[in-house]
Amino acid sequence: MAVTATTPATRPPAATSRTGAAPVTAALLLLVVALAVVDITQGTASVGVPEVWKALTGRADPADASVVVASRLPRMAAGLLVGAVLGMAGAALQTVSRNVLASPDTLAVNAGSYFALGVVTVTGVSLPLFASSGIAFAGGLAAAAVVLGLSGLGTGTVRLVLAGSALTLGLTAVTEGLLLLFPLQTDGLRHWNQGSIAQNGFDGVLQMLPLAVVGLVGLLLLARRIDALALGDDAARGLGVPVRATRLTAVVLAALLSTAAVTLAGPIGFVGLCAPALVRPLARRFRGFTRTRGSLPLAGLTGAALVLGSDVVLRVLVPADVAVAVPTGVVTSLVGALFLVVIATRTRDTAAAAAPDRLRIRSRSVFLTTTAVLVVVLVGVVIAALLLGDAKLLFGDVLNWAQGKAGRTTAFVLDTRVPRVLAALLAGAALALAGTLVQAVTRNPLAEPGILGVSNGAALGAVLLVTTVPAAGSWGVAGAAFAGAAVSSVLVFGLAAKGGFRQNRLVLVGFGVATGASALISLLVILTDPFNAIKALTWLSGSTYGRTTPDVVPLAAVLAVGVVVAAVRRTELDLVSLDEDTPRLLGLNLGRGRLGFLALAVLLSATAVAAAGTIGFVGLVAPHAARALVGRQHARVVPVSVILGAVLVCTADLFGRTVIAPAQLGAGLMTAVIGTPYFLYLLVRSRRG
Amino acid sequence: MRRLLLTTAVATTAALTLTACGTTEPAADDAKKTTERITLTDATGTKVELDGPAKKVIGTEWNVVEHLIELGVDPVGVSDVKGYKTWDTAVPLKNEPKDIGTRGEPSMETVAALKPDLILATSDLPPAAVKQLRKIAPVLEVKAADAADPIGRMTENLDLIAKATGTTDKATELKKQFETKLEEGRKALADAKLAGAKYAFADGYVVSNQVSIRPYTSGSLIGAVNEKLGLKNAWTVKGDPAYGLGTTDVEGLTTIGDVQFAYIGNDGDASSNPFAGVLAKDQVWTSLPFVKKGDVHRLPDGVWMFGGPGSMSKYVDSVVAALTK
Repeated sequence: MAVTATTPATRPPAATSRTGAAPVTAALLLLVVALAVVDITQGTASVGVPEVWKALTGRADPADASVVVASRLPRMAAGLLVGAVLGMAGAALQTVSRNVLASPDTLAVNAGSYFALGVVTVTGVSLPLFASSGIAFAGGLAAAAVVLGLSGLGTGTVRLVLAGSALTLGLTAVTEGLLLLFPLQTDGLRHWNQGSIAQNGFDGVLQMLPLAVVGLVGLLLLARRIDALALGDDAARGLGVPVRATRLTAVVLAALLSTAAVTLAGPIGFVGLCAPALVRPLARRFRGFTRTRGSLPLAGLTGAALVLGSDVVLRVLVPADVAVAVPTGVVTSLVGALFLVVIATRTRDTAAAAAPDRLRIRSRSVFLTTTAVLVVVLVGVVIAALLLGDAKLLFGDVLNWAQGKAGRTTAFVLDTRVPRVLAALLAGAALALAGTLVQAVTRNPLAEPGILGVSNGAALGAVLLVTTVPAAGSWGVAGAAFAGAAVSSVLVFGLAAKGGFRQNRLVLVGFGVATGASALISLLVILTDPFNAIKALTWLSGSTYGRTTPDVVPLAAVLAVGVVVAAVRRTELDLVSLDEDTPRLLGLNLGRGRLGFLALAVLLSATAVAAAGTIGFVGLVAPHAARALVGRQHARVVPVSVILGAVLVCTADLFGRTVIAPAQLGAGLMTAVIGTPYFLYLLVRSRRG
Repeated sequence: MRRLLLTTAVATTAALTLTACGTTEPAADDAKKTTERITLTDATGTKVELDGPAKKVIGTEWNVVEHLIELGVDPVGVSDVKGYKTWDTAVPLKNEPKDIGTRGEPSMETVAALKPDLILATSDLPPAAVKQLRKIAPVLEVKAADAADPIGRMTENLDLIAKATGTTDKATELKKQFETKLEEGRKALADAKLAGAKYAFADGYVVSNQVSIRPYTSGSLIGAVNEKLGLKNAWTVKGDPAYGLGTTDVEGLTTIGDVQFAYIGNDGDASSNPFAGVLAKDQVWTSLPFVKKGDVHRLPDGVWMFGGPGSMSKYVDSVVAALTK
């Protein structure tokens, strides 16, 4: 694992060991077996080591034996199967897409399955396992197909991940909306969201086993072609490998594998991403693992060790009854996040910074027209947001309210509605500005407060404060959110700074921190307030519910500062976003400026989270769309992006408040629902352009 | 003569008018009552002032809604009306209240439009939301549950709501009825030689292939009622500090030994009854001593496990019926 910085990137193949592969595999196998054995002795029944031994040798009393046979062994088997299957699916996906971020999680396979199952659950139809796995497969495959179709097979990996994360966000948002709307029907599904390997009998494992075998055998048969793909599409084509067909088959098989895992245990996060990442350094050291035939089973073993290890560690650390309530997926996410961050900082990042988006140069009049249209749209949205809601008002009511002579009900409705509209507008603007700043500084189109873990870090800080001090005030929550965001961003940017915020490392570390933070939030809620999960879900889904004017003040202050700074230092932003060398040639040292921009972005996202929860997407979509509309000059990008962000979140909030009134949907959910199709359209369009 | 007639007519008309007045208009002392101010202190320590007994009341949680209906005050607004109708048929709604949204996030705007005299909320509502509700109307915030004294918490909530709605007599009556119900149930169980019997109550959920079971420890409302009935709670798991609910899985059931096991599911919610569904074929479940003996009782739907005296009385009836069958 010790790939140090001094090692040349093009380490000659002769340095790899010919013989090491077998002992490494054996050691890993031993670890998995040991974990499996420990796992069998853990659980809520008082069946420990002696009873398990008796049961295995056939001398236990029937009750203990039944626990071992029908609860412990199936759970252990499910852990093994799920881990192995996810590890292999992730390894296959990463190889065919040549992308270290490709995994069932990022290709939206899990999200697609989850969505499909959510829709079925809401209808109240109770399906047998096999049928529901069919539905999950259809959902997962469809999602993967959309992602691959939109990003284009064999084209840039950035697009693939962008499309994947976009669809994941969108589908998860819709599914979570269903959870909020149908809390009774989906009570179990909410639990399922984080995945648990607990089983009742072997039925599930036995039904999923054939799927796993088909997937594995298929991938192994395809292994040579997959190896060829790793050389690049042209090279592979030169070797006579059908690139498209191979990639398509591999993706279908990987989707099949992850579906098996998802139906059996729910989405066990991060294993598909993490297991291959752990195997990669080994592949560099031992020749046996450089080929897919060697690395695929190894990734499977690593995945199994991750899942079982998480389960074992959890049951060692917390009492059995609490362990039941903590989903396995939360623990794998935590473990996986940690490993991912470590791996990301240790391995060399060979991926070059992404090619800048191909943008047409826009004239001044285009900018002015766009801004004018956007301002009109913004005004329209604000008016609509003030008039519409659970109670419909007319413009006269608003005028009366503004003059302080509205009736009691109207006054109250507006008193509660106006802060919500303000929170949505300002949070949208702040997130868009934060996204613009981070993307400029890191020159990374994937960089966004949400993806980089800053938003989730902020949410973790806020949730920590809210669970310990329920009566915390607006500034307190904002402060806690900022502390969380500061810690997570120091972690992310600090670790990724080496090598100049390169594409993969930054996003990998950010993704790790984001997932880790959201897993910690789930854990915190389960441990402190187990029967009020809706409250936490509401917080995480980004909601303006219950906001009052004082809650918005910190955000407004920070946004004002942010806009001024961005306006004053627009030229500097243009320069840092260009490339590494130009500012240096001009004799500018931009280190301090960059740090300032980043700090500002963190402050912006933290206050936005404190005011309106985690609202994903805006920081990614708004700057992208702004650049597509008006070019890359920051004097133009900043205002357009800020207005776009405000319009987007305000519209989302408006829909969330009205569509299913009197019940409500979080603005964050609605942002994802509105943002996803637009973002996917953007991807399609930019491919043509 | 004419004058006399006229006088009589006027007198009669006046008399008739006067009597008519007396019957159509509220009695004088009724009018006086509405000006009598009521001052209460709610669970948060907030002083709640009312101009008189509240008539137009909104409930954001189902337990306070159940209390209201039992006290004879039909709520004008209720959270998740459909859910209430599914889960609480022990104390059914007698009117068609306005749906004010979800229990976690009731819509401020709908609440305001109903122009209530009083809003009943519980500590499960976020403080920010309560703060806003207080601007619409007086809010009486009760503590949702307390595992230290579940029945005491329930009756205190009932009393507080009764004071606010001017129905204290009804509350006293309800409490007395409930005491009698508990005493009768205890006697019936004792007569059937079930005093001190080990008993475990739970509900459960199933999704995909996984079952989660929620034990009702002695800190839960139902757990406390069980103890009043002379049953011994068999759960050893720890419950949460408010509702007294634990979590366990199927193998956790092996720790409660040989008990009487009862559960409540709901036919309106397919995932709420694993005991008669998925578990029927589960080896751990079928080898449990109480399952083998047939000591598993499904109690009738519609008893809200976190409700008031109405739900709990129906629960007592169904437990006694199930165990003495």
